Amino acid sequence: MVKCVIWDLDNTLLDGVYLESTSRPPGADPDMVSAAAQLRDRGILHAIASRNPPEAAQYAARVTGLEFAAAECGWGRKSDAIRQIIADLDIAPDAIAFVDDDLYERAEVSFAVPEALVLSPEDMSDAVGWPEFSPGVVTAEARRRGEMYAERRRRLAEARAFAGSRDEFLRYSETEVTIAPATAADVPRLHELSVRTHQFNSSGEAIAEPALRALVGSPSHRVTVVRLRDKFGDDGLVGGCVVEAGPDGAWTVTLLMMSCRAMGRGVMEALLAWLARSARRGGAAALAVPCRVSPRNMPLQLALAASGFRAAEGGSPDEPAAVFSRPVTGPPPGLPGWVSAPEA
Amino acid sequence: MGGGTAPGVIGELRDILARATGREELREVDERQPLFGPGVGLDSLTGTLLLREVHRRFGVDVAGEDLNLDSLASLATLAAFIGERSA
Repeated sequence: MVKCVIWDLDNTLLDGVYLESTSRPPGADPDMVSAAAQLRDRGILHAIASRNPPEAAQYAARVTGLEFAAAECGWGRKSDAIRQIIADLDIAPDAIAFVDDDLYERAEVSFAVPEALVLSPEDMSDAVGWPEFSPGVVTAEARRRGEMYAERRRRLAEARAFAGSRDEFLRYSETEVTIAPATAADVPRLHELSVRTHQFNSSGEAIAEPALRALVGSPSHRVTVVRLRDKFGDDGLVGGCVVEAGPDGAWTVTLLMMSCRAMGRGVMEALLAWLARSARRGGAAALAVPCRVSPRNMPLQLALAASGFRAAEGGSPDEPAAVFSRPVTGPPPGLPGWVSAPEA
Repeated sequence: MGGGTAPGVIGELRDILARATGREELREVDERQPLFGPGVGLDSLTGTLLLREVHRRFGVDVAGEDLNLDSLASLATLAAFIGERSA
């Protein structure tokens, strides 16, 4: 059972970055505050570990209306802040959860404090119903989500102990990536991905369900979904993209998004390779991915660079945008054996 | 900050790469070995961990300054990129 949740502030408990705000600091994130308030009502403590000056903690307490049992603000490692809080509150490391939007911080903490439950904000909105946080009755759906997290921890532990390359681990885990045309039934999950994915999202904009439904039915667009499973568990629909075939023979990926749950498991690379093959088969000369570049979607920038895309800069200084593209006329990129997809 | 001679930087980068990928054998990787593609197989997850640690240790924002990430061709090109910016 979790007894204390340790929160990051920027883009997690706060809806923005505290120090970047020139005049007014960001407000509280409504989803996270609602989750935190429910947990407080169950007797679970809250604490803060943030890369910010100490006054950020007082500010967070004011805008969230929450009480914090401990706050570590500074520029050291997050795992050190967490160890300090564990010592101050005299709580066992396996009784804490840590919530941070930043992949790097989560990796650092799960490596240094392996007993802790390490969650992204996306996880946290679900986690309120997990058995780890619920002394009372737990719904079947919540139990399933809690199990998914346990599966992920087993996968992570095995991956860490595995001697060999990532691809060897993907084969060992019996990874199955399935690429397929989207149907109307996929629309709610696609909407959810458009709202919740940041690190792997080319547009950074939420798309409403009716707009997605129209795209799925549109003859001039192809909406594709990606599912992922392996021997540790089934992650279901983890990604999607929207492609527009232009009159100039170029295919444009107007939206590309993937859940951070699928990171490091070859899914984005598989989707990009499949898109290049499909564009080639469809007679296109090039494949373009317009992308709003920010420090948050660096993983997408890496995936594009690793898949042979090159960027041309565009946009304005306020909204840095770039069009990543690659020719598709040469030999097509290979698809690993664990990918099943429509002929391309 | 950071700095040091290029061989020292490459040694540190090997260390960062081994930890980001969880593969000890990459401590011996040739500095000209391509980071993307088979062999090292840097991907979006391990690449993010690598670049964040580079930012922390050397104060260089590689992804922000190099949109195409050409500096990630190999440890040698990455060390050169860091050397130019942290000098």
